[in-house]
Amino acid sequence: MRILIIEDEKKVASFIKKGLEEEYFVADIAGDGKEGLKLSTSEEYDVIIMDIMLPYMDGITLIKEIRKREIVTPVLMLTVNDSIKDKVEGLDAGADDYLTKPFAFEELIARLRALLRRNENSKTSKLTVGDLVLDLQSHRVFRNNQEIILTPKEYSILEYLMRNSKKVISRTKLIEHVYDYHFDTETNIIDVYINKVRSKINTNFEKPLIHTIRGIGYVLKDDD
Amino acid sequence: MFQKFKLFLSSTRFKTTIWYSTLFLVLELLLGIFIYLYLYDNLMDNLDIALKTQAKGILRLVMEKHMDIDNFVPDSIYTDPADLVWDVIYNEVASNLRNNYIQINFKNKIVYKSANLNEDTLSFKDKKEPMNLFYFTDTTLSQKPIRCVQLAGNNYKIFVAFPIQHVTQTLNSLAHIFILLAPIFFIISILGGALISAKSLSRIDAIIKKTEEITALNLDEKIIGEKYSDEYGRLVKKMNEMISRIKTSIDYMNQFSISAAHELKTPLTILRGETEIALKSPKLPEEYIEVLKSNYEETLRLTKIIDNLFFISKIDHSLIDIKKEKINLDEYLQNTVNNLKIIGVEKNISLVADSRTNSNVEIDKELMTQALSNLIDNAIKYGEENNVVTLKGDIFDYNRIKISVLNKGEGIPQESVSKIFDRFYRVESSRNRKTGGVGLGLSVVKAIVTWHNAEIYAKSIPNGITEFYILLPKAA
Repeated sequence: MRILIIEDEKKVASFIKKGLEEEYFVADIAGDGKEGLKLSTSEEYDVIIMDIMLPYMDGITLIKEIRKREIVTPVLMLTVNDSIKDKVEGLDAGADDYLTKPFAFEELIARLRALLRRNENSKTSKLTVGDLVLDLQSHRVFRNNQEIILTPKEYSILEYLMRNSKKVISRTKLIEHVYDYHFDTETNIIDVYINKVRSKINTNFEKPLIHTIRGIGYVLKDDD
Repeated sequence: MFQKFKLFLSSTRFKTTIWYSTLFLVLELLLGIFIYLYLYDNLMDNLDIALKTQAKGILRLVMEKHMDIDNFVPDSIYTDPADLVWDVIYNEVASNLRNNYIQINFKNKIVYKSANLNEDTLSFKDKKEPMNLFYFTDTTLSQKPIRCVQLAGNNYKIFVAFPIQHVTQTLNSLAHIFILLAPIFFIISILGGALISAKSLSRIDAIIKKTEEITALNLDEKIIGEKYSDEYGRLVKKMNEMISRIKTSIDYMNQFSISAAHELKTPLTILRGETEIALKSPKLPEEYIEVLKSNYEETLRLTKIIDNLFFISKIDHSLIDIKKEKINLDEYLQNTVNNLKIIGVEKNISLVADSRTNSNVEIDKELMTQALSNLIDNAIKYGEENNVVTLKGDIFDYNRIKISVLNKGEGIPQESVSKIFDRFYRVESSRNRKTGGVGLGLSVVKAIVTWHNAEIYAKSIPNGITEFYILLPKAA
């Protein structure tokens, strides 16, 4: 899952990024409102974490601008103000959640998971497709109650495919959601990773779950 | 219930009413006694005068007729002196409208007695005065008190009397009326007193009610009634003034704590977040070192913020010993530059003094140096590398000196220039982060400048010259 962090306090942005990466997320940082607007409109993100007090364009204006452009990415606001007025203002502008600084990192992660769940039917911290289960909290994957060991990147790919199960995901889209924007989309390293994931999930099991749609991309589905 | 009753008994309303009513009652009784005595005196006086007049009248008549009763000689008309007397006083008796008792004795013999005396007789009371005025109860007059005048000659005595029973009866009924009226008066005065005290105290009640409502949260509300110029009005006015003073203090404290919390939150977020991430999973030693370094920086930042907060709070409450001294501005600015030159070295910015005012200023050197060093620090932080930061002294007008700090750099966004001195305001710009500025620096400057009765302003041209200048009163 790819997260955009719009935060002007460099150290804050960088520890959030680091923490997210430990949780198998990928994250980009925008240091001010204008850069945030540029990244959020040109790249695809699963969640945006945004400070309210930003240089050049404040958080409230930024959210309104993003929403005006019909970008529905969930937004989690971060701020030092915990007045109700501020919270209401932020949520009314189009933010989906709110967290006051200083915050517990665990809470930030839990809230991000909740935001990511929004578009899914599942209300638990596990993703399930057929006999394949991905535990979002422990980052462990099981198939038919047998644990499958994945590297962080493989995990990210599987998570994205599982969240979007039954949908055909293009190679580019997959890259956009599992790599930050420094990644060179021309390399074929993604194919290597996908092949590894596919073999780990499919081999030794009766039914393949990850399918290649030639020329389009990949799909994870349980055929029944 | 009992408590409530006790409260009522101790209330000003009750006390005022009781005082009021008691006073009213006492006044009523005093008035009654006064009226009683006055009337009694008056009636008696009038009666005495009437009696005296009548007695004198009878005497005069007797004298006018040249009746020598002493040496009465019977003639064809009067065989008996009594007849003469009777005849003589007839006129007087005829006009005896008040139905006085009249009796005339001659040589200790009653020669005349008005009919209304019936069987009673008036007896002489020995007194030295020729005209004796008595108030006595004559037992012979059926125990009725009478007022009597006796006029005594050698041989005759004239009595004129009147039963004072009528007078006393009138007065007694008057007294009764007063006594009967007393409780009525008392009740009316209680009601009236209660009403009046309720009316006058209703404003006190309103004040009490409003005062009860006012807490730290609604200090902008006022007690109504300032417009009256009476004691209540003045009380309300003073209370409102007190409320607004409290509000100013509380507002200050609130603003201070909010801003302080605000200012402290960023370093705390970093400390907490970085530490949490570091503890989350095992890291390489270099990573731990990095986190510790960063945390150390943040604790320094926290210390600086707290120092600044204390400083501002202290200067705001005049808790700092300030030693003003008269100094030469040019020398002072030059010395300041010499001491701070080192700050610019890293960015190859040269700090220069430019002051030829030949003026004196009265300042606390230590504090003003701190203010100037904060400004110079900022000017260097935000100034272009390899450039100049100038500390300038000018004569602004006939009584003010202008000290300015100029640099060339990105500048301050126009919308921020006016807010830059607001306590804890920070130009929210990434360049601030790069330099790790603490938003309190300018607030400290502002506090120091304000303390010196001076003013501070900022002017900034984007990507041009940014100027911070202080207008300071010139010393003689």
